[in-house]
Amino acid sequence: MNKYLAVDATSVSAHLPFRKILIANRGEIACRVMHTLRELGIASVAIHHRVEARARHVRLADESIEIIGDTPVAAHLDIAQIVAAAKACGADAIHPGYGFLSENARFAAAVAEAGIAFIGPDAETIRLMGDKISARTFAEAHGVPVAPSVMPSGDLAEFTAAAERIGFPLLIKAAAGGGGKGMSIVRSAAELAEAARIASSEAQRYFGDGRIYAEVYVERPRHIEVQVLGDGEGNAIHLFERECSVQRRFQKIIEEAPAANLPEALRDSICTAAVKLAAAARYKNAGTVEFILGADGRFFFLEMNTRLQVEHPVTEMITGVDLVRAQIEIAAGRGLPLAQADVRVRGHAIECRICAEDPERGFLPETGTLRYLGVPEAPHLRFENALDTGQKITADFDSMLAKLVVHGGDREEAIRRSVDALGELALLGVKTNTDYLARILAHQAFRRGDLHTGFIAEHATDLAAGEPAAATLDAVLIAAALGFREFRDIAFGVPEPHATIGRWRN
Amino acid sequence: MGFRITVDGHSHSIEIVGRRPHLVVRIDGREHEVSATGTLEDGRQTIEIAGAPLHFTRAHAGDGLIVRLNGRTFDTAIVDPRSETGGAGGGLDHVRAPMPGSVVSVHKQQGEDVLRGETIVTIESMKLQTALAAPRDGRIAALLRREGETFDKDEVIVRLEEVEEA
Repeated sequence: MNKYLAVDATSVSAHLPFRKILIANRGEIACRVMHTLRELGIASVAIHHRVEARARHVRLADESIEIIGDTPVAAHLDIAQIVAAAKACGADAIHPGYGFLSENARFAAAVAEAGIAFIGPDAETIRLMGDKISARTFAEAHGVPVAPSVMPSGDLAEFTAAAERIGFPLLIKAAAGGGGKGMSIVRSAAELAEAARIASSEAQRYFGDGRIYAEVYVERPRHIEVQVLGDGEGNAIHLFERECSVQRRFQKIIEEAPAANLPEALRDSICTAAVKLAAAARYKNAGTVEFILGADGRFFFLEMNTRLQVEHPVTEMITGVDLVRAQIEIAAGRGLPLAQADVRVRGHAIECRICAEDPERGFLPETGTLRYLGVPEAPHLRFENALDTGQKITADFDSMLAKLVVHGGDREEAIRRSVDALGELALLGVKTNTDYLARILAHQAFRRGDLHTGFIAEHATDLAAGEPAAATLDAVLIAAALGFREFRDIAFGVPEPHATIGRWRN
Repeated sequence: MGFRITVDGHSHSIEIVGRRPHLVVRIDGREHEVSATGTLEDGRQTIEIAGAPLHFTRAHAGDGLIVRLNGRTFDTAIVDPRSETGGAGGGLDHVRAPMPGSVVSVHKQQGEDVLRGETIVTIESMKLQTALAAPRDGRIAALLRREGETFDKDEVIVRLEEVEEA
């Protein structure tokens, strides 16, 4: 199985107007984009700060340009410098990846002004979707469900009347709020008036502003998002949904496609709503429409991401569509790569984000030096990374080191294969969440598909590492002892040649 | 001949009780015959314990070894017998950074006496400030990071003067 290629695999890129594309990003996503550029016969240009001059994305590119900045991140956010680099090397287009400048309207505008194609929507669309209020208003105006809410009010009678119309449960918040002050969950009309009075007086006391607002309270919410493609002419299709409910510190760590146990009719309504939004915005690019889905089957628009998503490979695996290629073709004015009726789901895919962090200590980021990298290989998996042995893992960039993406004939097989692959993966020298991810996938609630954004908090006790069994501990001690020179010298009597060891003290 | 090896900070003893024809070790009273012993190199290894193959991955990191086995990763180190006889205060002579970050403020000076629990420096990591306190009563031998300087996890930030055993 080809893991990246689009449905019509034989390239028609000869007609693409792009000969050279600059990737305004780094790490695994820069490498991912270059993979497709190579297949399309388009030259790639990397950018790098001096601390990453020998990084994998630099080595993989046909050419690389150094960008200067006080910190590596500052350099990757320097619009003027990156646009100048693209002009200097004669790039026809810029691919922004995700993060950094990918959703920066000023960047999109600057790229367009320089006469270079931006692989993404225009600045106006980025601005519209980048602002939560304008995006919500736009979605609501085009019939996409948004969470019902009552606007801030100081008039309690008016407020309770409006709140009652939304229905229960309801979440009341202070308009000036934060930190849970003035916040309460109301489960019936009988409690409403009193709860509103208390919330308002608390808000007055803490913030000097008694105005409160209310919104629908979603219990056990699931994060469901829809991959869309729009041609900029008002045509849009969806490539089905992804579920990203397993999160820590409000960030996703496991994503899958399709969502687990989603009734067919509900899936249709969610995907249709996403397409409606993309079409109404005359959206041009690959994009993601995020929804929150309640246990009662109601779903509401959260936001739209106007770029390639970290978790895009799960969609590629189940649909066979290369999303980077689709982005490039759309930017080149070639329209949508396929019709809605031709989009088919095949099997199930799961992505695990391998992060340098310690799940036993509140997922705080970890640093270190990568001493050994052992990667599982199989036709059904992709290990997306830009890692090198000996590389320092610092706090300069995001803590995500790699993504393990696995396909299976069904969800059960995808889970089993993922657990096996995580067990086989050896990323030694920095603490990672690899084993923690395996424990999540092996958990009964995950296997049942009983997911919501509080999954990790709900199952915290089950997911803790626990003490190793005595047999495991003995095996670890023997395995370790045989790696120490002092031990081997005594055990085998004859000192082994120094050449066999890499690093040793003394 | 016995060795002490720590696994994730817990010390265990492993004793060599036989060398011919195969290596035999004793751990907590349990004896294991190790018939295939692998090499010293980093990477995937296979050894044989009681005739059964054991696959694992291993890498040297600093003075220690990282061992990944049965889907779990362990930090191990061999205990230098000299440091073991060095007295109970051994682990309390340093203040190490619990996470990567930077120094926000330094509250004590070199040569100053501190009481256990007194804050010596305040650090910031992930926008969270944390006070690093003295692990025991003593005198500050060295402050290794100044205000504004950054450090990695586990770096020594403060050293206390060693105490004479009574």
